[in-house]
Amino acid sequence: MAYKPQYYPGSTSVAENRRNHMSNNVQKVREISDEDLTACLGHRAPGSDYPSTHPPLAEMGEPDCPIRQIVTPTPGTAAGDRVRYVQWADSMYNAPAVPYWRSYHAAINHRGVDPGTLSGRQVVEARERDMEAVAKEQMETDMTCPGLAGLRGATVHGHSCRLQEDGVMFDMIDRRRLEGDVIIQDKDQVGVPLDRKVNLGKPMTTAEANKKTTFYRVGNVAYRDDPEAIEWLQKVWELRTIYGYQPK
Amino acid sequence: MVRNASVTRKPIQVEIFPQKVLMPDTAEQLLNGIDKVPGVIRILIQGLSLPRQVTWGPGTGTPVNHPDRRIINVAGQAFELNIRVGRIQVEIEDRSVKDKIRKVAEDNLPFPFEFREGFFIRRKATLVDYAKYGFKSKEDESINLDDERLLGLVDPKANPKDRICMLESEDE
Repeated sequence: MAYKPQYYPGSTSVAENRRNHMSNNVQKVREISDEDLTACLGHRAPGSDYPSTHPPLAEMGEPDCPIRQIVTPTPGTAAGDRVRYVQWADSMYNAPAVPYWRSYHAAINHRGVDPGTLSGRQVVEARERDMEAVAKEQMETDMTCPGLAGLRGATVHGHSCRLQEDGVMFDMIDRRRLEGDVIIQDKDQVGVPLDRKVNLGKPMTTAEANKKTTFYRVGNVAYRDDPEAIEWLQKVWELRTIYGYQPK
Repeated sequence: MVRNASVTRKPIQVEIFPQKVLMPDTAEQLLNGIDKVPGVIRILIQGLSLPRQVTWGPGTGTPVNHPDRRIINVAGQAFELNIRVGRIQVEIEDRSVKDKIRKVAEDNLPFPFEFREGFFIRRKATLVDYAKYGFKSKEDESINLDDERLLGLVDPKANPKDRICMLESEDE
């Protein structure tokens, strides 16, 4: 029987969502074109070629190395792409993804990525086309609510702020906003205006966000509501403590 | 607003802390409502900054043009709202005004809010205030300010221009 990883303990909806993100059991809920994605990321002009930092590996004449024979390079590496980043901020008011779970999703389900997790933002660095694959997947699926999360390369402020009256996470440089019933982005990650308005789709309703979130939060699903998750947390803590305590 | 700093009864301070940060229209309505209550001495609004231009990263210097950084009118006085209002602190003449402020907040905020009494805006000059404004004269060592209600309304190191608005009300 094939091994099936068990990703996260717990019986609450939050635990279930965390398992879904880690195992990539996420639903595609919107369509973002490649050009729109490239524009939002702001690393190159939409439709232009990927700039490269070295020739394609096939042309470089790699040394005879058993590891290189085992590991197939990712498309970005094979083409010699530059390393570029995508960075997210997710609202603490029940956004679907927690920074750590964006990292788990990227690290478990994609090769050649370097996720970085901070308290209020999450960054993935990778070869440009590999990074775009991660960004597109996270943008188009229910891991992201455009109202409660945003692409923010700089000035990520907002993840821990109260939501605005319209239910959208605050963005001090106004990269995206609610227009009608959809979220529109007209600036790139760092706040430089775009020549287009990218439709990011409808934000989740409060009820939907509460159901889809991976945040444990008093008022929705508190961490203490999940005895199994607490039991495993305590077990891991205990084993790490015992393992770390090595009197000589 | 009461123009006279010498209020005979002991003033108190209250704070309105909405569950969500306010859009300019709601903030304008709420501030106008508070201004109409007799007995309000001063109002302080705090919130998230809406900068004119990007201040960090590769886009530094790019104009933001935030649609919500706009002029609002309070008591006939126009001023630029450069924050997303998240907290309103009001100094009032006495406790009898408190319930009227709460009523205004209930009428103007479409979502829950916290309402508390406390000490939020200082009344006495600090060392930094003296360093900034100085004494009135060699003989008079009180702070060199025409209106002491300005104390505590802005950070002493900040430029008060465009941050303080004197409102004229009908009760004066």
